Amino acid sequence: MDAISEMPLLEVERLQVEFDTRAGIVHGLRGVDLSIRRGETLALVGESGSGKSVTAQAVMGLIDVPGRIAGGDIRWKGQSLLKGDGPRRAKDIRGKEVALIFQDPMTSLNPLITIGAQIGEVLQRHLGMTKAQARIRVLELLEAVGIPAPPRRAAQYPHELSGGMRQRVMIAMAIACEPQLLIADEPTTALDVTIQAQVLELIAGLQETLKLSVILITHDLGVVAGLCQRVAVMYAGRIVETGLADDLFERPSHPYTQGLIRSTPRLDDRLERLVSIEGAPPSLLAPPRGCAFEPRCPIAEARCGTEPPLAIVHAGASAACWKPSQPAWRDVPASAEPAPVS
Amino acid sequence: MSAALSMTTAPATPGLATAADPILSVRGLSVEYEASRPGFWSKPTRVQALRDISFDIRPGETLGLVGESGSGKTTIGRAVLRRIDTSDGRILFKGQDITNVRGEALRKLRRHMQLVFQDPYASLNPRMRVLDIVAEPLIVHGIVRSAEEARDQIGELLRLTGLPRDAHDRFPHAFSGGQRQRIGIARALALKPEFIVADEPVSALDVSVRAQVVNLLQDLQKELGLAYLFIAHDLSVVRHISHRVAILHSGRLVEIADRDTLYENPLHPYTEALLSAVPVPHPRTQRARKRLIYKGDIPDVAHWPTGCHFHARCPHATERCSLQVPPLVRKAPDHQVACWHR
Repeated sequence: MDAISEMPLLEVERLQVEFDTRAGIVHGLRGVDLSIRRGETLALVGESGSGKSVTAQAVMGLIDVPGRIAGGDIRWKGQSLLKGDGPRRAKDIRGKEVALIFQDPMTSLNPLITIGAQIGEVLQRHLGMTKAQARIRVLELLEAVGIPAPPRRAAQYPHELSGGMRQRVMIAMAIACEPQLLIADEPTTALDVTIQAQVLELIAGLQETLKLSVILITHDLGVVAGLCQRVAVMYAGRIVETGLADDLFERPSHPYTQGLIRSTPRLDDRLERLVSIEGAPPSLLAPPRGCAFEPRCPIAEARCGTEPPLAIVHAGASAACWKPSQPAWRDVPASAEPAPVS
Repeated sequence: MSAALSMTTAPATPGLATAADPILSVRGLSVEYEASRPGFWSKPTRVQALRDISFDIRPGETLGLVGESGSGKTTIGRAVLRRIDTSDGRILFKGQDITNVRGEALRKLRRHMQLVFQDPYASLNPRMRVLDIVAEPLIVHGIVRSAEEARDQIGELLRLTGLPRDAHDRFPHAFSGGQRQRIGIARALALKPEFIVADEPVSALDVSVRAQVVNLLQDLQKELGLAYLFIAHDLSVVRHISHRVAILHSGRLVEIADRDTLYENPLHPYTEALLSAVPVPHPRTQRARKRLIYKGDIPDVAHWPTGCHFHARCPHATERCSLQVPPLVRKAPDHQVACWHR
């Protein structure tokens, strides 16, 4: 591999995002470090309020008043998008080289414009295509995302399509400019499980054929397991653990990750009882000084009052914990014999 | 059709002499809604939301009811609680026919069956104290005259559902999503019901909190001998909590079996597709699973196809499937399936 492809496509460094609210400043992101290489699939996992979507919005330049980027940097192919003439360059990169798909395809599509015209607009604006060129390309894109009868569908309005079809249209729009990075923010959360499987398979297929890098934002560990090579777990505005998917599911280091995996019922589980992480995530109006998980952590001790850095635990895995890899939920067997599933 | 009816209206558990009498029996239940008019002067069209639904729930048992959006899960829940009228069929609660119970008798009946809602944010009045919220059913049913009178009783309910002792006088906004769902459960338990319909009670909750509520529901069932109709789209949670599972597809039950049979030996092609579409949160296991991804969408409630509603997506479908509705047939003592090919 040459030096260029070794370089991360996207780097996020000590990123801080704050929101002004009536109650005070909400510290949405409190120093997020992230990087993704070409062709890699990274899952950003966390609960609501952990900062997964804010991270995506910051990368896409969608943080707007009352929010602001309060510190840190975002680099695209080594060059800052925030400093110097970065913001100007970023306009050409966002939407073209980096594309975003949202959770709810109904609210992200214009209900008054046909599917074909909406995708065509992207092509005309970013690639300078003529209307006629765009029309042909739209049909190819609809075909590529598995929409049957493209000419008929292109003339339809969003409300005439099912949820799964709409999400396919969003994906077609996102890949219209042949991006290098696709950020998918909960792309299947609003979909039924059989439709979710179709959409995930589509994303995996596109990733392969277009050599895309994908950041998949989700709260569903099952979706992660099916699609991603690497996982970053977020909690209270920070990344608390990152590692290769196989490894992370097999031996999670951070107590939160351990709890998360074992509080998720599995289709093949025979556990009598789920691990229950008591309590709730802290308020980001006044984030704790030390480890944000300390109040809920069963193995917390005095030194957890100071913030643990994200440090390497073993090859390819880092965790922000003073006592990484220690079993935090002793009372429940780590892995029961999985029950067969068809 | 008459053959189909006679088979489905037979008692659901003739083979099991030891089983207790069902607390709830549903026989041949159908529900129709009035839909929009095609034109101003024309008659409104009728949409058949449920057709010929039959199942039993025994005391102290959880029946998981699974289906995708639009399949009619919530309609079943509302129909058995007598919140909507049925167009055909019978509902028996503890042997008494409640299909057409009205007025005072219905009000009395509702003491015995309660509902837990999906959205803990929308289902609690933000202007009422927790004490008033939980006491409301007691006041409505004339058991106490004021909330204050029930203070001790409600303290006990709050303890039972794992809420802090000082929760009484606080308002819903002071609680997290998981705690709000506990308030909703406490309210449902206030009248000491024997049967609870839980409509997607954990879908709106974050993963780590979901386990708390699932564990609570299981504990309450053991302690109070409750029977649940647990409505959900998440098959992993359903496996964890249910004793028996019913699969609903486009307004018809396609399969009912005890939990392990259904998950390990599903018979209906739709059940197979559904199970294989659920990702297991473990990368190695997930990669090893065979996946059946069927093309096409879930049929729309207003335009249901003739015959088996699944035939358009089913790989085993023959001409018969597109013409005749397969009846729900018993294949084993506790395993019923509606498919011409199984």
